[in-house]
Amino acid sequence: MKKAAIIPFAVALVILLAFATMNAYRVPTADVSFVEEEDRPAVVATVEFEVSGLKCRGTARTFERQVQDLPGIVSFVAYTRTHTAIVEYDPALTDPDAIREAFEEPILHEGKFYEVFEMVSVKAE
Amino acid sequence: MRTLRTIVQLVFFAGVVALLLRGLAGHTPNTCESYCPFGGLVALYPLVRYKSYACALTELNVALLVSVLVLTIVSKKSFCGWVCPLGTVQEWLGKLGRKVFRRSFRLPKGADRVLMNLRYVVLIAVPVLTFTVWKFHLGFRAYDPFYILFTWGGHETAAFSFYIVIGVLAAALFLPFFWCRYLCPMGAAMDPLSRAGALRIRRNRDKCTDCGVCDRVCPHAIPVSKVDEVTARNCTNCLDCIEECPVEGALELSWFGK
Repeated sequence: MKKAAIIPFAVALVILLAFATMNAYRVPTADVSFVEEEDRPAVVATVEFEVSGLKCRGTARTFERQVQDLPGIVSFVAYTRTHTAIVEYDPALTDPDAIREAFEEPILHEGKFYEVFEMVSVKAE
Repeated sequence: MRTLRTIVQLVFFAGVVALLLRGLAGHTPNTCESYCPFGGLVALYPLVRYKSYACALTELNVALLVSVLVLTIVSKKSFCGWVCPLGTVQEWLGKLGRKVFRRSFRLPKGADRVLMNLRYVVLIAVPVLTFTVWKFHLGFRAYDPFYILFTWGGHETAAFSFYIVIGVLAAALFLPFFWCRYLCPMGAAMDPLSRAGALRIRRNRDKCTDCGVCDRVCPHAIPVSKVDEVTARNCTNCLDCIEECPVEGALELSWFGK
């Protein structure tokens, strides 16, 4: 019954195929620009945070609200599979530490404070 | 063969339990939902229409959906019989039920056929409800035994969700593969491709003695002894019929029945 061995082989192969090709369907869960194209600062820096708590469209929106009022924030893109937030900012006005502080700020919900986001790692360019 | 399949089933079952335990311990934000191919099906509409994903769905769900459909074209519903942890749990419960009650229950053919179409209702209803009533939230979570069981009452489940799981699992004790057979939307999505699945059971008429053992052991009640090749949509290539066949070579796995 050698043909039976084809089945687990096929299972393993299609799973590998899924992981190898998933980036073909990669689109951000959230992609927000906080400034108009003509108002973009001349110098823009990018920082990539891995954030625990960033796990769906709703939490991406909450993250957006946490950072949107910070001076110098240009744009924000979220990928929930990797729990990644990529933030563009004006380095003259803010820095990754300030952004981190903003999104890690506890959130008031129905009279209680919740710490929704916590930085796992950061990659600044 | 059976050992090989059991090993594969145990690997995936252990994987989803490990994910559940890691999630409960706070070591990972991922849940079984992150690896659900049916999530990929629900994700298609917002992906095409808005170039975005609904709720917690991601590119991995879509990639796994495509992979499962490819697997179905190659080997019928092997995903259900070899991989799906909910299918595995139901198989175990079905075996337990047979041991306890010393018999396997079956619904009358007419009722069985009508109820099998419920899967298509679920297949259409879940995406429609997701994008209308549930407003792009994955509202099916509260009703999906796979999600409820393997997240142990995860986000957006309710108290009634556990009653659904208990009901589905209890039903599987009496009616083999109750969820898969009557309600699973992923199974419904695989049906057309499963009929054409390349790797299928072939009956060798010259060797077959028409003893009917294959019909009795088939967990999906497929009349294997009445056909030359099994094209039935429900066949999961579990290979129980080949395993139990008393005549060597009367049943075998083949490419396109040849």
